[in-house]
Amino acid sequence: MIGGVQGIGIDTAAVIFGDSVAKAGYYLYGSREYYSTIKGRHSYTTVKISDAPSSSINNNVEILIATDAETIFQHFTKVKDFIVYDKNFENVELNGIRSMENEIALSAYNILSKNNLGLTCRDAIEYAKKKGVKAIGIDYNNILQSIINKLNIPSPLTERAKTMIGVGASFKLLGLSFDLLSSTISSRFKNDTIAKLNTLAAKSGYDSTDSFYNLKVLDVSSHRIEIDGNTASAIGKMLGGLKFQSYYPITPASDESTYIEANQNLVLNTSSGSKTGGIVVYQTEDELAAINAAIGSALTGARSATATSGPGFSLMAEGISWAGMNEVPVVITYYLRGAPSTGLPTRSGQSDLMFALNVGHGEFPRIVIASSNHYEIINDAITALNLAEKYQTPVIHLIEKSIANAYAVLDENKINANNIIIDRGLFTNNADESYRRFKINEDGISARVPLGSAAMFYSGDEHNEYGHIDETSSNRLKIYEKRNKKLELAAKEIEKKYKIYVSGDKNAEYAIITWGSVVGPSIECIDMLKKEGINIQVVQIKMFSPYPSKEVSEILKNKKRIIAVENNYNAQGAEVMQLNTGIKATDFILKWTGRAIAGDELFDALVDILKNNKNKIVLDDEF
Amino acid sequence: MDYNKLNIDDTAEFNDWCIGCGNFGILRAVELTLHDLKLDYHNTVMVSGIGCSGKLPHFLNVKIDGVHTLHGRSLAFASGIKLSNPNMNVIIDAGDGDTFGIGVGHFVSAGRRNMKMTLITHNNGVYGLTKGQASPTLNRGEKTKSLPKPNINDPINPVALALVSGYTFVARSFAYDTQLTVSILKEAIAHKGIALVDILQPCPTYNDINTIDYYKNRIYKLDIDYKVKNNNEKVEKMMQAITKAYEAEKIPIGIFYQNELVPDYNNRIKEDIPNYLDYYPAIQELSINNKSTVDVIQILQKHRIV
Repeated sequence: MIGGVQGIGIDTAAVIFGDSVAKAGYYLYGSREYYSTIKGRHSYTTVKISDAPSSSINNNVEILIATDAETIFQHFTKVKDFIVYDKNFENVELNGIRSMENEIALSAYNILSKNNLGLTCRDAIEYAKKKGVKAIGIDYNNILQSIINKLNIPSPLTERAKTMIGVGASFKLLGLSFDLLSSTISSRFKNDTIAKLNTLAAKSGYDSTDSFYNLKVLDVSSHRIEIDGNTASAIGKMLGGLKFQSYYPITPASDESTYIEANQNLVLNTSSGSKTGGIVVYQTEDELAAINAAIGSALTGARSATATSGPGFSLMAEGISWAGMNEVPVVITYYLRGAPSTGLPTRSGQSDLMFALNVGHGEFPRIVIASSNHYEIINDAITALNLAEKYQTPVIHLIEKSIANAYAVLDENKINANNIIIDRGLFTNNADESYRRFKINEDGISARVPLGSAAMFYSGDEHNEYGHIDETSSNRLKIYEKRNKKLELAAKEIEKKYKIYVSGDKNAEYAIITWGSVVGPSIECIDMLKKEGINIQVVQIKMFSPYPSKEVSEILKNKKRIIAVENNYNAQGAEVMQLNTGIKATDFILKWTGRAIAGDELFDALVDILKNNKNKIVLDDEF
Repeated sequence: MDYNKLNIDDTAEFNDWCIGCGNFGILRAVELTLHDLKLDYHNTVMVSGIGCSGKLPHFLNVKIDGVHTLHGRSLAFASGIKLSNPNMNVIIDAGDGDTFGIGVGHFVSAGRRNMKMTLITHNNGVYGLTKGQASPTLNRGEKTKSLPKPNINDPINPVALALVSGYTFVARSFAYDTQLTVSILKEAIAHKGIALVDILQPCPTYNDINTIDYYKNRIYKLDIDYKVKNNNEKVEKMMQAITKAYEAEKIPIGIFYQNELVPDYNNRIKEDIPNYLDYYPAIQELSINNKSTVDVIQILQKHRIV
């Protein structure tokens, strides 16, 4: 874990550390926590290194890199092995840190005073040391001053290089060669002086400790990429033929749109040779314009999408209803953050599932997909674009902030990107004089042509096959059913692999029912629980609408206990299960602090539920 | 301009506007314009909002594409259409409540972008479909017939708001002056940027103040040099137009302002996507035999670490 004041490059430091570790053949999963501010408050990134892919982090960390005193006060109880810190902070007192929230300061105070310790940073480190943690104090100022002298540069420039000292030290602890780190730094910073400065800072850190974990460089058979969840969604959409993306700036969704804009000119291998195909990225005045512009664009035949989070999605409700009424293929990537209202704008949560399923007034098919890791985000983004066109209805793709802002290393060959299937359903460019946009046929799906290829009407008023306003009962009866039964067709046609993913022994007597970011830690608990003599299966719902009712009923029919694990208060995923299958969860592990459920805390909670016969545990990020 | 020569569409809807509604004049002017300019579904889409005006595309006797959208959002839908298919002529019919009430944010933002589209506002001072509440263009102190109390809000001046928002073609017409409306619409559609044509329109059912006679006694044809020929005279021409826009004793109708020196939005996008106007989103080839045409490696290799 690396922590410090927001704006000094915590994120960059974590990425450089991660890239360098990945170069040694390791996978990593790095999760970011930050305040809704630009500069000045505590932010931190937790990076998990593993030899197999993982999509979870732990609350307890091996190494803490502290670039300021607050980082130590916030996290000193959660460190297992090492604290790398700036010696100059040793005398900083707990109550001298204005940026720290009172509740956190109080928790630190309680721990320190209970252990008869003072209230300085040195005391907090002392506490950790008593628990077996080794403290590596480095004089950051001294190092920076010598770099300033050596490179003859102004001192403000070096402020952001501070993070590199800790990165260098922890890289040494891993036991990996400095070359891996220095090559990442030089490719990261284009400016020579900045690269040199950061390399020197990292080297000083690297030289200030011995190796500990002795990690070996692993063989890597295929190319690997490192991306965050926002980028995964952007890449999935681009691979899936996205041509138009609208957005209004909002955390944590905007990064997706700005990534697409920065990379908007794509090379296409068309039937008439290689061509550039530009994706239009449209920053609108609000989310009302964002959804409605995406819908307008979709009517021209361009694959169209928007991306937002809770507050913006609320504004999009009316537009989504229009898209449902007019059978418009549009994809809404819905980033889930802490709600209600502005809530915890930079934190995560799963409290908007019911809203996504029910958004927009009236009855119309909404396809709702929830991704649990970066691979799924890429594939689901492609699937979303396909299903939107196939069933001519809005598709909502749920991605939690905790995944959106998490970095992961992925194997290129697992992305299967060279074999991306585009399914446009009944889209065609040809229509004759008798064309009716909403022609009623057996399965409810009519041929769709772009604006400009036939006379056609769209209307949010109830309409007839031509799209003209028609309020007669006889018309309403038919056209309403036509629209709604598309979801029944989708339920029948969409393959199981898009809807549900099950891990673990099918004969297990216990099951976890979960979704999204909780899936990663849940799956990792299967083997850990086996060692405790507990056999558990993990059921991940990937598609909430249409819901895989038959599959869920079949899997869960003989389970002794069904544990719902979710990042919300009401266990909404379990509620949806009950609504669709009649099956009730028996036990609950819930967390609504805005932080993802960590692997270690989930394991403890599951043990508590299954061994101590508790029915409900609320996770609290307890100090 | 022989109305009978028009290609009558037997699927067109029964027109349910009130007898004497100003919308009929606007409908006729739009039909004549489309006919004269040979605009139909091949090249033109009519986008509308919600309200009496929103039904206009349904009532046209020209084979057209119509997108009858949401209250206040017609400009947003229209912008998406225009961005993904810049070849389409996009004409928007919206009410005064639609445009200057619930959708005023879109109205202002559309000026900043200057997309080549034509916005026709049906300006009758009232919300007709909901039984005559005051719209954002009704004067303060006026009590139209179904208002329980006189209106206590000051009005928006559509021409002036358009000018300060960046509209590059701004005109006002009268619903019953079909000839003038047609001539303005033709200029507006040809204009290289966003055009507002605000049309004063009596509502015989709910607005007993701004009647046909009210307008007939006040309107006069504007005759000013409205075209900005170089950037130095931009502000001067805007000020002239705003001054004219606020005349109340006598109400000028005609073209107030035009400036084709401002690049339109599609051409701004062309700066970032060089082949955009030839290979825009609506016509890009998505797949060959169901396989994506996107070159995957270009995307992934930027993120390769090993």
